[in-house]
Amino acid sequence: MGGLARGRRPLLVLALVVLLLAIPWLLPQRYFLRVVDLGLVYAVLALGLQLLVGSAGQLSLGHAAFYGTGAYTSAILARKLGVPVEAAFLAGAVVAALLALTLVPVLRLRGNELAVATLGFGVIVHAVILNEEWLTEGPFGMMKIPPFRLGLLVFDTEFRFYYLGLAVTAATYLAFRRLTRSRFGRALEAIRQSEEAAVTSGINPVRYKSKVFVIAAFTAGLAGGLFAHLNRYLNPNDFTLTESINILVMVVVGGLRSLEGAIVGAMIIIFASEYLRAFKEYRLILFGALLVVFMALGAEGLRGLPAKLAAAARRPAPEPSDG
Amino acid sequence: MLELDSVDVAYGSIQALRSVSLRVSAGELVTLIGANGAGKTTTIRSISGLLRPTAGSIRFEGHPIHRVPPEAIVARGIVQVPEGRRIFPELTVEENLRVGAYLVRDRARVAQGFERVYTLFPRLRERRRQLGSTLSGGEQQMLAVGRALMAGPRLLLLDEPSLGLAPLLVEEVARVVTELKRSGITILLVEQNARLALTLADRGYVLETGRIVLSDTSDRLLANPEVQRSYLGSSRAGR
Repeated sequence: MGGLARGRRPLLVLALVVLLLAIPWLLPQRYFLRVVDLGLVYAVLALGLQLLVGSAGQLSLGHAAFYGTGAYTSAILARKLGVPVEAAFLAGAVVAALLALTLVPVLRLRGNELAVATLGFGVIVHAVILNEEWLTEGPFGMMKIPPFRLGLLVFDTEFRFYYLGLAVTAATYLAFRRLTRSRFGRALEAIRQSEEAAVTSGINPVRYKSKVFVIAAFTAGLAGGLFAHLNRYLNPNDFTLTESINILVMVVVGGLRSLEGAIVGAMIIIFASEYLRAFKEYRLILFGALLVVFMALGAEGLRGLPAKLAAAARRPAPEPSDG
Repeated sequence: MLELDSVDVAYGSIQALRSVSLRVSAGELVTLIGANGAGKTTTIRSISGLLRPTAGSIRFEGHPIHRVPPEAIVARGIVQVPEGRRIFPELTVEENLRVGAYLVRDRARVAQGFERVYTLFPRLRERRRQLGSTLSGGEQQMLAVGRALMAGPRLLLLDEPSLGLAPLLVEEVARVVTELKRSGITILLVEQNARLALTLADRGYVLETGRIVLSDTSDRLLANPEVQRSYLGSSRAGR
């Protein structure tokens, strides 16, 4: 970003926007668009987790629980109760956020303890989705979910859904970009870099972690609603621990703390999942390996790769300083 | 202004402070000296709310604060400069200072704060766009003090500001502490370098294994043969 001449940036942004809007026209194959649509759903999901893991430094292994809550809430309200889809969609995000609020006491836990607690939470939510058949239709999954609609607009094809997904992703990205560059974002950075120094500056870390946790859950709920009305079918197995780890891999691959990275990471993992379908179980091994490799590369993920390669080419890696 | 009355602090079953009582009046510079592990940092941390006393009371301007959370204590005007220069390494100098002014909502006061810090530490102005991690040890200490000043403290708690600094920088710390006192800030200074601390302070307390064993004016403490023997050995003067 820093290398670009200031005057050329607006032009590049404009070119990117035009390109993004033109994608369904340039590459109209249904299967390809379907994967892109799914990628957008996961981009929203990964953005939320990026804020939590990257900016707030809180490891969650249960993000699929909020994703599933949003998906099922929106689907149940729209299909069983006939609530307008746009209202059901927002309600899904709100319910996911409320669920996150009940976990706020857990946020006093640190590091590993929080990861284990969210892991347990994910298992509970999955069990509820699986077993409460009167509500969720249980292991058979929920079918015939109506498509997303906004007034007279119906997003019932891959082509149409793309614009909905793009709009939600863009809105989430822009909102988070603003948030991370505000006083709120600076406080998060301070907490992550030195919690004690943040406290002695008058910042309450638990309050910030709670806010981010709720924001991340709300975002996951939005993504869940998108998924429910894109896929039109929900299965409990879409919301397991594996899914939580997938989302985490997206964030790590894209580079911690990079919002753009979260979007790119989501697209890479979704495309890899779809186009490596032939390899079935081996995909998990591949993702596991990716996670290890990227953790070894450091927090910057893909974003930091060019600089790292350049540095490695110039000289042996410098001693890490203990700041 | 600040009053500790029979404060006990324990880490689990280990008693770190036993019945510590001390006072700091408005405008005073008071120092707390003692060996490593005597409980100096523990005392500071219990005042700033990072530790809870197991017994006793801490009052600030007449109000008990020993059950007040640390961020609310900052809001009341007590700001700690943590030991070991805990700055934010991945924030720029300017952002570090901005975090210090976290509770100050009035923009004009934030601007005044920047001006005050940059006047006191011209080096920080030069480096305001640099990341905290790129600063030298002395500059990081200045940044930690600057960050605390941004909150507009009435009582400043300085925890080992000279620790690990070269002699020339220790002199710089002395200059800064003197200037802060002149500007009207009340200061509680914790130091291992007793000679430096007593030269700067009005009064001092000597802490030994969690208890206050001596308290007097700085001049008398400097002249006290016991203090001289234990804390002012000439080999320590350079630390």
